[in-house]
Amino acid sequence: MKVTLFITCLVDLFHTNVGKSTVELLERLGCEVEFPDAQTCCGQPAYNSGYVKEAKEAMKHMIRTFEHAEYIVAPSGSCATMFKEYPQIFRGDREWEAKAKALAAKTYELTQFLVEVLKVENVGAKLQGKATYHTSCHMTRLLGVKEAPFKLLKHVEGLEMVPLPNAHTCCGFGGTFSVKMGDISEQMVDEKIQHIEETEADYLIAADCGCLMNIKGRIERAQKPIQVMHIAEVLNRHE
Amino acid sequence: MSMKIGEEPFHARVKSGIDNSFMRGAVAGAQERLHARRLKAAAELGNWEEWRALGEEIRQHTLANLDFYLFQLSENVAKRGGHVFFAQTAEEASQYILDVAMEKQAKKIVKSKSMVTEEIQLNAVLEKAGCEVIETDLGEYILQMDDHDPPSHIVAPALHKNKEQIRDVFRQKLAYDKTEKPEELALHARQTLRREYLSADIGITGCNFAIAESGSITLVTNEGNADLVTALPKTQITVMGMERIVPTFAEMEVLVSLLTRSAVGQKLTSYITVLTGPRHLEEVDGPEEFHLVIVDNGRSNILGTEFQPVLQCIRCAACVNVCPVYRHIGGHSYGSIYSGPIGAVLSPLLGGYDDYKELPYASTLCAACTEACPVKIPLHELLHKHRQVIVEQEGRAPISEKLAMKAFGLGAASTTFYKLGSKMAPSVLNPFTTNERISKGPGPLKAWTAIREFPAPEKERFRDWFHHRKKAGDQP
Amino acid sequence: MKRGRIHRREAFLNQVAERLGRKAYATNVQAPQWRHQPQWTVFQGYSEDDLLEVLKTQCAAIHTDVFETNKEQLPLTLQKVVSRYGGGPVVTWNDPRFAEYGLSHLLYHHWRNSGIHVHIWDPSLGAVNITEAEQANIGITFSDITLAESGTVVLFSDRGKGRTVSFLPQNYICIIPKSTIVPRMTQAAFYIHQQVKAGKEVASCINFITGPSNSADIEMNLVVGVHGPVKAAYVVVADG
Repeated sequence: MKVTLFITCLVDLFHTNVGKSTVELLERLGCEVEFPDAQTCCGQPAYNSGYVKEAKEAMKHMIRTFEHAEYIVAPSGSCATMFKEYPQIFRGDREWEAKAKALAAKTYELTQFLVEVLKVENVGAKLQGKATYHTSCHMTRLLGVKEAPFKLLKHVEGLEMVPLPNAHTCCGFGGTFSVKMGDISEQMVDEKIQHIEETEADYLIAADCGCLMNIKGRIERAQKPIQVMHIAEVLNRHE
Repeated sequence: MSMKIGEEPFHARVKSGIDNSFMRGAVAGAQERLHARRLKAAAELGNWEEWRALGEEIRQHTLANLDFYLFQLSENVAKRGGHVFFAQTAEEASQYILDVAMEKQAKKIVKSKSMVTEEIQLNAVLEKAGCEVIETDLGEYILQMDDHDPPSHIVAPALHKNKEQIRDVFRQKLAYDKTEKPEELALHARQTLRREYLSADIGITGCNFAIAESGSITLVTNEGNADLVTALPKTQITVMGMERIVPTFAEMEVLVSLLTRSAVGQKLTSYITVLTGPRHLEEVDGPEEFHLVIVDNGRSNILGTEFQPVLQCIRCAACVNVCPVYRHIGGHSYGSIYSGPIGAVLSPLLGGYDDYKELPYASTLCAACTEACPVKIPLHELLHKHRQVIVEQEGRAPISEKLAMKAFGLGAASTTFYKLGSKMAPSVLNPFTTNERISKGPGPLKAWTAIREFPAPEKERFRDWFHHRKKAGDQP
Repeated sequence: MKRGRIHRREAFLNQVAERLGRKAYATNVQAPQWRHQPQWTVFQGYSEDDLLEVLKTQCAAIHTDVFETNKEQLPLTLQKVVSRYGGGPVVTWNDPRFAEYGLSHLLYHHWRNSGIHVHIWDPSLGAVNITEAEQANIGITFSDITLAESGTVVLFSDRGKGRTVSFLPQNYICIIPKSTIVPRMTQAAFYIHQQVKAGKEVASCINFITGPSNSADIEMNLVVGVHGPVKAAYVVVADG
């Protein structure tokens, strides 16, 4: 199966390892992975800040870049959600709305793709320890992917999953919110970390680099002994 | 605008909210309890999404035909001997009510909880004219006794106060000599307010849902105060935001079911009271005279715009009770009587961007509000819509942000620019980097690194790794 | 009844109409058939006995005691329930159902002879009724419609059926003929809607009462008994 990777700008620039893990994981499951070099960013930073015009330029570029793809897979729930929202954003624009719909229809978040398309739940991963999972807002509420990560993590050998209290509350990232409303964001991420600590988990796992960057950045600042991992990195641990 | 509470700037309000540890504890506790109760109440029905779809459809239809339903309502109120006043502004509304009070030579007025009367600052107008106005909802009563402390939650207005504070207020203002036990406090309020109901000249209420087909108004309470406010004084005045209306009893029923479940997780509250006109000739209790004041006060400007769905709101506060931002900053931080996500959408519309431009940004767009809304208002999308208006129509965005976003547009729409920029990132940020982390970032990173570490850009971008690997033939 | 006045309607409604894209305000609209109607499926096909079970379960959640009885036993049951809640003074509706259900003797003779003050609502006495209700320990009414799901009694006001009988006394007892029990508010609302459509006047006050009054305004602590009754009890009468 041919998979076209939408790696997202955060992974491209800051979390290379997440990208590598994603590629290796997909290949191990028999996919042929391609990476269109023209890709940039889904436009969310500008869009969410209210700069719709600027965002649309990025979106059109992404639509063109991925037009040929059969399956688009992204290791980020939030960025995949953005692709899914393109049709609504281009509503009324005859040419681009149709193209946006085609793009949205073939877009999958990584765990969603594994469970729904490849129909795999056990990817043969191994990781020793206790972990809890942060359900990111866009992925669960807007994209509607709630179960897939848990199904996959359940089969990771050696990994004990513990539920995260108040899992439904946002970690306080929210893109520019994290800097514009730093005072509020700080309270939110601290509460999230407090709940993570309550689980006594060794690992905090999530499927969105935005949330991870926020939570990890705060955990590192506070020097807490919790390892933060993207789900692709967990699923790619197989030796 | 009159919905405003206080003059402090937004970030100062947020700071006092964050520093108020009692309030935050109370809010977090309330959110957790109400969240669990709401989910349980929804789950009991088994098909909550169908209920929400019905609620949405009813509200959308009603708003799309609001002119007709308001016409029908007013006809039916008049048929039953009630008087109707259509107020386009807050001032017109409170002036009319004042006129009625003067005509009745009213000295004492009892009120049941009503957000719209807060919005039109009715109490201040009546008090200035020498009337004694007494709030009877326990929460509102507590706030009123505490020198008119503004409400911090649209359903539980005194949520930010603890029982010790309430005890002290009662001791100071009501010659109270018992403890801070809620039962004792409530009993004292019951005894004090009983005398007020019995001696009041006018009862003023809000309106949860007006019913167009019969000219009725529906009041939803747990305390039973609205019933006494309407049963005992000779004159009843009901004030409603113009959108608080349903076509028939059948729709009222559906929305009440959604409201009570979403607000407090109850199947129905203790009292749902449907009142039609003044009392009949042979009835002894109920008002001799009934006035309905229908308030626009900026609402019609929302009709026909992309923000119209906000008028679907039935004031259940489910969005407030799940909002992670409200949780930490509390209701007063919003600077408006309408707080939480609904407040962040509604306040700029009714009160203008001058006072409320920060509110749409005080959200991570996490969509918990949208998911909780029983009538499916896309609250996080409307917050986003505000941002778009602020940037594109109001031109209020800071110049640095505009430039950055222009650059983003260019960069993200062009592979060349993007690649160049991303390639340069590590060297640009190199001076700030230690151990692959940035602890004190420059420019826009400053705010980020004030709180958390920022990852240093990778020396080898993902795309570089991918190409090298492909070239090297390192593929299965 | 004399028609009330309507002030400043034209300009107001025309503004609304204009915003909605119409030249003048609409004067005839029919509500559509709603696409979803989940409210009708709740407890669909439940028998009277099933619904009574639902009601009883719900009453435990709303701090309301339920007493079951039949028509023959009703006077005795009511007498017991009243003394359990502290006896008189008692205020009741002037409702023909009290006679139909064999309660006249209790109301007019038994209680009065045993020193319990009973006031039966009497419009000709005017405000005295309210004073009586305010001083009563117990208010008693019948339920006109009863909602199983929420444990709610529905009361339609009328000349003999004062509103305050159910609010002002310290305790409230409602007699529920078993045949008045319907699944939920949907059925009651539909009945009233049908009355309106048939041109009948709705009662000036329709009360949906679900247990005693309560408040959670102080630190979200539930306090039962605020402005309305502190305790509520339902007496369900098998009337089939």
